[in-house]
Amino acid sequence: MSGFDNFNTDFYQSSYSVDDQNQGGYGYSNSENPYNKQYGQYDYSQPTGYPSPGMMQPQQPYTGQIFQPTQTYTPSASQSMYSNSFEDEPPLLEELGINFDHIWQKTLTVLHPLKAADGSIMNETDLAGPMVFCLAFGATLLLSGKIQFGYVYGISAIGCLAMYCLLNLMSMTGVSFGCVASVLGYCLLPMIILSSFGVLFSLQGMMGIIITATIIGWCSFSASKIFISALAMDGQQLLVAYPCALLYGVFALISVF
Amino acid sequence: MSVNKLKYFFAVDTRYVLKKLMILMFPYTHQDWEVRYHRDTPLTPRQDVNAPDLYIPTMAFITYILLAGMALGIQKRFSPEVLGLCASTALVWIIIEVLVMLLSLYLLTVHSDLSTFDLIAYSGYKYVGMIFTVLSGLLFGSDGYYVALVWSSCALMFFIVRSLKMKILPSISSDSMGMGSNAKPQLRLYITVATAVFQPIIIYWLTSHLVR
Repeated sequence: MSGFDNFNTDFYQSSYSVDDQNQGGYGYSNSENPYNKQYGQYDYSQPTGYPSPGMMQPQQPYTGQIFQPTQTYTPSASQSMYSNSFEDEPPLLEELGINFDHIWQKTLTVLHPLKAADGSIMNETDLAGPMVFCLAFGATLLLSGKIQFGYVYGISAIGCLAMYCLLNLMSMTGVSFGCVASVLGYCLLPMIILSSFGVLFSLQGMMGIIITATIIGWCSFSASKIFISALAMDGQQLLVAYPCALLYGVFALISVF
Repeated sequence: MSVNKLKYFFAVDTRYVLKKLMILMFPYTHQDWEVRYHRDTPLTPRQDVNAPDLYIPTMAFITYILLAGMALGIQKRFSPEVLGLCASTALVWIIIEVLVMLLSLYLLTVHSDLSTFDLIAYSGYKYVGMIFTVLSGLLFGSDGYYVALVWSSCALMFFIVRSLKMKILPSISSDSMGMGSNAKPQLRLYITVATAVFQPIIIYWLTSHLVR
């Protein structure tokens, strides 16, 4: 049957083309077309070529079917692992991509601005740390009576977008938006220190101005250091530090006034 | 309008930016204003200090907006709407200036190699002068404001005339069409001088309300 030949050639490319052709094809008996099962509609009693991992987890109806000799599509190792038991599953944090060791390393890089940064730490973009820091910043602002979560988020969004455009134009290799957001979020950590000072003392005197300037310098210096090492830009550190300083200056304005 | 062309204007480094800022504030000692070429393509700003770039105008524009916000905040006249008004006014004036330049260059059939981005760059350099003016106005009061205004206007006029002269005027000799070429040098000179004279006016217009 010509229809069946079509199914076979499309089979290993995408299951959805099979689905589309399947709509009219339910007249075929299952013994002739064992591979015609749609991706989403499983009849557990039939042998199937596309076991989805989600389907296979706690249910047991696949007991005999997987090991049939006629089964030409063997499930991959991870799927057989999923089907076995809970102990063999990868740990939750690893599945979610949260790696505490890396988070701690990046935090240390921010806290030691004078130490040279390693360019490879930014290879995986993780937004969990920056989210925590943003929330902590908002919380410390809340402690001093300023309910300005909206401004914090708005400014971080606009600032990340602007830095993304600028870094893409200035560097030889491009940079992804997640990487920019991640670095800028990590370097917000000293700003949290500033706003916690602001809870205890007023920041509007001369001392406050000096502390604010120091912290802005610290944030932008470490942000530019990470960007420079991750994107291999030479001779441009001050040029990257200046827009970061503008962004963190706006955050400091929120904390001070 | 490709991204690659735009990337040319952002290929800067710290040394270039510092030298360019010095030239913008004090152009009288700079000797060689010629933009250098390398086999028909202009050199990047990293290699040639006379090449226009877009990093300085962009950063200066954003700094100007933030500084305007701060100046208004100090005078207790701050609100986010006023900041937005400032930003859009400045942006509109840049657009008007670039469009007028483009139109006049086109109408007078001046064959220069000034692209739109070049014109945006040259009209964005005035923001450096504006920042300097506003800072002096905030730190030293009204007298400081006027002194800085005069200084940055003169420096900027000199800079614009010397830079654009190289780009607009020399193209006469290469493609002289015979009869029309006699009127051309004067018109081109008028364009250059008009651009230069426009700068102080716009600097005053955009900064005076910040320093009362």
